[in-house]
Formats: sequence, C-alpha cells, structure tokens
Amino acid sequence: MDLYSHSWGQPDVTVAVKDIHVRYNVASSDAAAKMRRPERIGRRMIGRFPSVLVRAVAGVSLVARAGESIGLVGLNGSGKSTLLRIIAGLERPMRGSVFASSTPVLLGVNAALLPELSGAQNVHLGCLAMGMSPDEAREALPTIVELADIGGAIHLPMKTYSSGMAARLRFAIAMAMQPHILLIDEALSTGDAAFKDRSKARMDAMRKEAGTVFLVSHAAQTIEEECSRAIWLHKGRLVIDGTAEDVARRYRLYAWKLAKGQPEAAADLLAEAFGEGFDTTVHLIEPPGTGAPPRHANGAGSTTPELLKATFNQRR
Amino acid sequence: MRRSSQEAEAPEVDRRSKARTGRPVLHEVVHLDDLGHVYRRPPFGEYLRKLWGRRHFIRADARGRVISGSAGTVLGMLWLVLRPILDGAAYYTIFGIILNTQRGIPNFLGYLLIGVFLFRFTSRCLSAGASSLTSGRNLMKAFTFPRAALPVAVVTREAISFIPVLGVMMALILLLPPTEVITWRWALFPVILAMQFAFAFGLALVAARVTVHVPDLNQLISVLTRFWLYSSAVFFARERFESVPWLYEAMGYNPMFLVLDMSRDVLLYGVSPSVHSWVVLTAWTVVTSVGGMIFFWRGEERYGSL
Repeated sequence: MDLYSHSWGQPDVTVAVKDIHVRYNVASSDAAAKMRRPERIGRRMIGRFPSVLVRAVAGVSLVARAGESIGLVGLNGSGKSTLLRIIAGLERPMRGSVFASSTPVLLGVNAALLPELSGAQNVHLGCLAMGMSPDEAREALPTIVELADIGGAIHLPMKTYSSGMAARLRFAIAMAMQPHILLIDEALSTGDAAFKDRSKARMDAMRKEAGTVFLVSHAAQTIEEECSRAIWLHKGRLVIDGTAEDVARRYRLYAWKLAKGQPEAAADLLAEAFGEGFDTTVHLIEPPGTGAPPRHANGAGSTTPELLKATFNQRR
Repeated sequence: MRRSSQEAEAPEVDRRSKARTGRPVLHEVVHLDDLGHVYRRPPFGEYLRKLWGRRHFIRADARGRVISGSAGTVLGMLWLVLRPILDGAAYYTIFGIILNTQRGIPNFLGYLLIGVFLFRFTSRCLSAGASSLTSGRNLMKAFTFPRAALPVAVVTREAISFIPVLGVMMALILLLPPTEVITWRWALFPVILAMQFAFAFGLALVAARVTVHVPDLNQLISVLTRFWLYSSAVFFARERFESVPWLYEAMGYNPMFLVLDMSRDVLLYGVSPSVHSWVVLTAWTVVTSVGGMIFFWRGEERYGSL
C-alpha cells in the first residue's frame, strides 16, 4: 500500500510544490581553466564565458500546511535559496509547478531597497509596493518602526545601514502585510538576540493564524529551535523530510563529520538518511469545471477516498 | 505526526518511483480550489487591474527617484532644466551657426528648442525604460507586484521632471525673438504631448522587456537614439532630404518627426497639422502603447530571474 495523505482531517494546504527542476548555465572558472588560452580569450571577447550546467534543484516535491514552520537545511549550494525563490514565484522553474494559497513573501539578504532613501521612506514605498493605500501605509509606519526597533536610524538613508539593521527593517515591512506564507532566507541570522526573540514571537503568532513559514539556514540549531518540520536538501535533491529534531540531528552529525575531515562517514550518514526518507508525489486535482469553481460547503471533505483513488489511477 | 516512522515503513511502494530511488512514496493529494499558481501571469485584464491597484506605489517610486536622481550635485533639481538648455546651446552653435542649417527655417531658435526639448523626453523614456527592471531588481526581489509598475514608474518620473522643462520651453518661445503670438492652435499642443507621452510609454515597456532577453541592447539603444535624432529633423529642416525621395517620404512616418513637426506647426507657425500627420501619429500611439503593454505582460514570468 502506498502512503496516502488525505486532505481531510489535516490543516489546509498552503503551498504545494510539484516536481521542481531548475538548471542554471553559469560561468565557471574551472571550465575556463581547462580551456586553452586562445579559446578562453576569444570567449571573453564575445562575452561568452565558459560555463557549466548546474542542476540547482532536481525534482523536489513537497506540501506545506497551515501552522507548519519548515526549515530547509543543506550545505552551501544545495538549492535551498533557489527553492525559496521558486516558491516565492520570483523565478520560473524549468519544469514543475508551485501552487500557494496566498502570495508568499520572501525575505532575502539583499536588504537595501532604494539605498538613497531613508528607512522611513523605504517603509512607505515597500508598503505601497505590497498594495497598501497611502493612508494604510502611514498607519502601518509606527508598528513597523516599533518592530524593527532601529531607533533614529529610521530617518537615515538606507545605504548607511548595517546588514542587521536592514534585515530588521525588511522583516518589519514584510510582517506589516500580515503574510500567510513567509519565506525567510537566512535574513534573520544577522539580527541580535533581542531581535531574534521578537521575530520568533511574531512568526509563531503568524503560524497560529494558519500561516506557514519556510526558513533557510545552514545552522541546524536554528532550524531545531524555530521549526516543526525540516527538509534536508543535497545537490538539489530532497534527502529527508521529517520532524525538525530528527532531520536537524542527522544533518548536524553529517556536517560535523565533514568538518572533521571524514567524508566517508559523512557520505554514509547521507546515504542512511536518504534511505530512510521517502519520495513525495503530488497529485493536483483541478476544481471541477472552468472559471470560478463552486465552493462546497464542506470543502474538500466531500470527496470520498474511493473517488480520490480513481482520480489517481486516471492520472497515472 | 503525519510523517511518523510507521508511515515510512509501508511495505508497498509506487513501482515507478522505486525504479528511481527505491524509497516509499508519500502521495499528497492537493485540491486546487483555493490555491493559485505562484509564477503564472494573470490574464491581461486582471494584470491591468493589479497595475492600477499599485498606482500609489508608482507615484511614490517616481517621485522618490526624481529627488534622488539629482542628489549629490551642487545645483540639484535645477539640472532638470539646465541640461536641455545647454544641449540646445550646443546644437545651436554647431548646427545653427557653424554648419548653418538654419537657412530657410523661420524662427530657428524656436524650431531648435522644440526639437531638442521634446525629443529629449522620448529618448530619456526609452533609455530609462530599458534599465527600469535592472534598477528595480531589489524591489522585485522583495515584493510581488505587476512588474509593469517599474517601467510605468520611470515614465512617470520622466513626465514629472519634464514639467519644468516644458515650462521653460514655452517661456523661451514666448520671450526669445522672434516672439510668437498665441493662437487657438496652442490648444492642440497638449493633445500632441499626450500622444507623445503614450508613445514613449509603449516604447519604454518594449525596451524594458527586450533588454531582459538581450542585455546587449542597452549599449545599442543610445546609438540607435542618435540615428533617430538625426532623422527626426531636430535641428535641420526635412527639406534637406528632398534629394533622397524615399528618405523624405519615410520621415513622414517617423513618429518623433511628426511630434516635432506638429508641435512647431501649432506653436510657431500658426498652421494646423495635416490630417495625414494626425492619422499616422495616432496609429503609432495606439499600436505602441497597447502593443507595448501586451508585449511586456507576456514576458511577466521572466523578469524574476534578473
């Protein structure tokens, strides 16, 4: 019997990621080094730098539900940030699709918005960019300033901010929209302890209101403390998807072995985790009919398991 | 709980998947009733509605950039007006005096002023539109909004900073000899300006998308603009090209030539522009603005990878 996860008796799905593949053609100095000099110079002249095909994400599927906070762990370059950008809709995958219940808000590390403008002006502009009216933006300003808590710096140009200050402001702006799906890409790692506590409190409150948080970090401890579920990515593939404690523990041990210079032991741990994981297959069921689907009073619960299985068999 | 170990130990697995990784498969059934595609562009009508919803953002962004654009210079915002005046002076010296292109052009000073000031608006919209997405990269990475808001904001910025320029141009036309009298035809000038604005708007949208596909075009645009400048009769008369009939004819379909020619007709010479000019310019305006909007919208999903 396959593993089935039914939509009834479960919180609502907020994000469904189905079989995402991303590849980049990127300039590579390694490829350049393997090339003979005239070819290298020639390519540089016409702006075609020697490149390699990097498989950033290779077939990742996952389903996130309301109230979950999902950590993404993995080494540098394992595809965590790419996956977040895909979920945010900022980048189009080569293959696969992403569905979300509301617009995901991505919080990245590139913090300065318009560097010449002051923090307060950036807050105003950011609020308008998210679709607030000028009045709403003016009302939101005090709350944002309070959450960011960067003092008088709010009136200084954003280019003078430290990375921590800019990250605080960005977080505060993003929270002003009360997003239901928040994607955080190491942005909070630059904050100090006091800010970490406050941002965690805000995220918890958000999750209680049926929100979902994705958090990228290569510090397993952060994931363990802040998340309920974790996903380990390795070279663009999903290694294991499970409780935050379990996955973070496995990943920490793996990273520790690597740091100790025991690649074989690390590879064993990776293989073990991979073997104990499972693959997710997402079955998307289109609402009946085209146009605005009629909303059932009891939603998805009205579908019987038999009908569901029949739908699979058709789709396979 | 859902992902407990007992689930992972399920004896039977999806056969197709087993061939790939040999791991058990968790089947997730997702009903799309309440879920939407995150990166698929909305239908055109909805896109326009969303863009309209961001009008406050467009205005604030445009205003912020007008101010920060001249930050760090001694004369600040004065440069908005000084630059075209100095450009005009340079053209006047080189073309009007040294090369003597003013022969046969009544009120050459007014002719040149209109040419330089108005052409500058279009060329600025074009180059700003081309770089609007790259310069708005931070905003795109941080917030979800219809990406057309960025080129629209730069065109709005150009329009805002064009207002004082326009005032100076009108003042100079009225003050510098030979002074012109105001006729009822001056009322046609705002119509021509509106058409030029719509045309430049479409152009900026096209440039914004095209430079995403081929970034090299950013380098080419300034060169192409120069060709365009010379073929729009900015500082010499169209009659210069009478010896090359096809070029002379083609100029009659050059939208910027039409804008300049019609503006001179109504502001300087007290003549009503020909019906032919109105028809051709209207066609350009409609095709470029509507076509530019659709063209930009169709590329919406690509702008994130900048």
